[in-house]
Amino acid sequence: MKLQIWLGALVVATFVAAAVFAPALSTHKPTRSSVDFLQGPSAEHYLGTDELGRDVYSRVLHGAKISLMVGIGAAIVATVIGVPIGLVAGYRGGKVDLFLVQMIDLFIALPGLVLALIITVMIGVSIEKLMVVLGFVTWPVVARLVRGQVLNIRESLFVEAARALGGRATWIVWTHILPNIMRVVAAQFSITVSLSIFTSASLSFLGLGIPPPTPDWGGMVRAGFEFLSINPLISLAPGGAVAITVFGFYLIGSTVE
Amino acid sequence: MLTAIVRRVLLVIPNIVLLTLILFWSVFELLGTPITMMLGRDADLETIATLNAQYGFDRPVFEQYVSWMGNALQGDFGRSYITKQSVADAIAPRILVTLELAAIAVLLATIATVIMNSIPVARRAVGSANTALSLVGITVPNFMLGISLIYILSVQLGWLPTSGWADWSEGPVEHLTHLVLPALTLSAFFFGSFSLVYRAEYRAVQRQLFIKVARAKGLSEWGVSFKHSMPNSILPVVTYAGLSLGQMTGGAVVTETVFSVPGMGRLFVDSITSHDFPVMLAVGMIIIIGVVLLNLLADILYTVINPRIRME
Repeated sequence: MKLQIWLGALVVATFVAAAVFAPALSTHKPTRSSVDFLQGPSAEHYLGTDELGRDVYSRVLHGAKISLMVGIGAAIVATVIGVPIGLVAGYRGGKVDLFLVQMIDLFIALPGLVLALIITVMIGVSIEKLMVVLGFVTWPVVARLVRGQVLNIRESLFVEAARALGGRATWIVWTHILPNIMRVVAAQFSITVSLSIFTSASLSFLGLGIPPPTPDWGGMVRAGFEFLSINPLISLAPGGAVAITVFGFYLIGSTVE
Repeated sequence: MLTAIVRRVLLVIPNIVLLTLILFWSVFELLGTPITMMLGRDADLETIATLNAQYGFDRPVFEQYVSWMGNALQGDFGRSYITKQSVADAIAPRILVTLELAAIAVLLATIATVIMNSIPVARRAVGSANTALSLVGITVPNFMLGISLIYILSVQLGWLPTSGWADWSEGPVEHLTHLVLPALTLSAFFFGSFSLVYRAEYRAVQRQLFIKVARAKGLSEWGVSFKHSMPNSILPVVTYAGLSLGQMTGGAVVTETVFSVPGMGRLFVDSITSHDFPVMLAVGMIIIIGVVLLNLLADILYTVINPRIRME
């Protein structure tokens, strides 16, 4: 368990460092093309160059920032929508709960990637829009989790005491219930980041992500796929970066459950 | 039990209507009618209005939804803008491809899950590496796994074709060599999620009294595992599989794109990138309805095979 958290934290820290220090760490400008296209790894280009002669290593580094922004942005959106809904459903119970659970179940069953595909084709793509779309796709899981937690805590003695003191529902939820589920919410936040990076990379791979020349991991994998036999790293390096990052965030999140 | 199932079935109908209506409405509202899409947004407004009226696109969305559904139920999904082919004809062979791929992947994943987590020898040998492997299965995106497999097995070793699809009619060997990589790729994600769920349940079952009894009466570890633990642990996997169908659909879409498999997922992505309105609508509807129905099936299956629920 402990090992898992440390490993996850290590991966995430590396990833964040890559995103923050990308300009300092990269050896080339990520969007500058050159005549040295499709070269293998060398001292000049650590991971070789892509079909436009851009440095793959620098592009992967800069891609970290985009993925981080999209992942965290989406997780914030999902939390902002999901937590209040889960709180209300769990605490109010009754008809409100029945209705909200129906809504949650309805959306949970829907294919996230397919939904994201449909929405992005309708509203277009930008980093901000991706955050909203992915947050919209992932909120039901957050809401369901929070509801379950609230149902557990609602019946505990300290909540009953707070109610006996004449506390209003909003006050009880805010000061007694919310602090007790923060751990789970935080863990789910990490998992949502992981899932959003996963989905946004898949979207880009399908050709519906942030358009080039922005160094976006999924898009890089897609572009490099054609040149797999010449320089496989164009695809495999950003693809590996997605896999490791998703793994790291997932690891942190999955330990708390 | 029967009333529970009937209630669940009846609940599905409004769900399907609501979801498909949302899809239909949003496609119209946000993309404009097929006419605007064909002529482009800056086309002459009057021409658009006339053509809209001519094809009945100026009617209320709900009315159009009903007539679209009516036609769809009779197998008429309209014609593709790009190929001019009837959408129903384009979809029919592709559904089979996707179903075959998905079924094989689920089968592979289930077998791997049960073997890796139930065989006493394997359990001891693989141990906690199994959890790590499951996590990898869940977190490595399908495109990454697919591309890596293509690079190693097809580009480097040349054992298998890089991509594409061969129908059964082209011979079973051709068919299977094209099938193996996409099926493996798709099954990795299934394996990861199945295995985590199965493992957790298996451990809980291991602590139960009847396992102790089975051991005490002298049953071998294999016997305990496959006669008692396995049947009692597989149930949550069914529920889980049903619940996570949505996510799995995404995996299928990506996998089909990586390997150029001519299935529903590929058709969907193509129709989206080429703005092929009727195909996109039809495939989107089928995916949504399919997922909801399969979800229902998993629910019913769960009710039928779970003795605790069956009693009620």
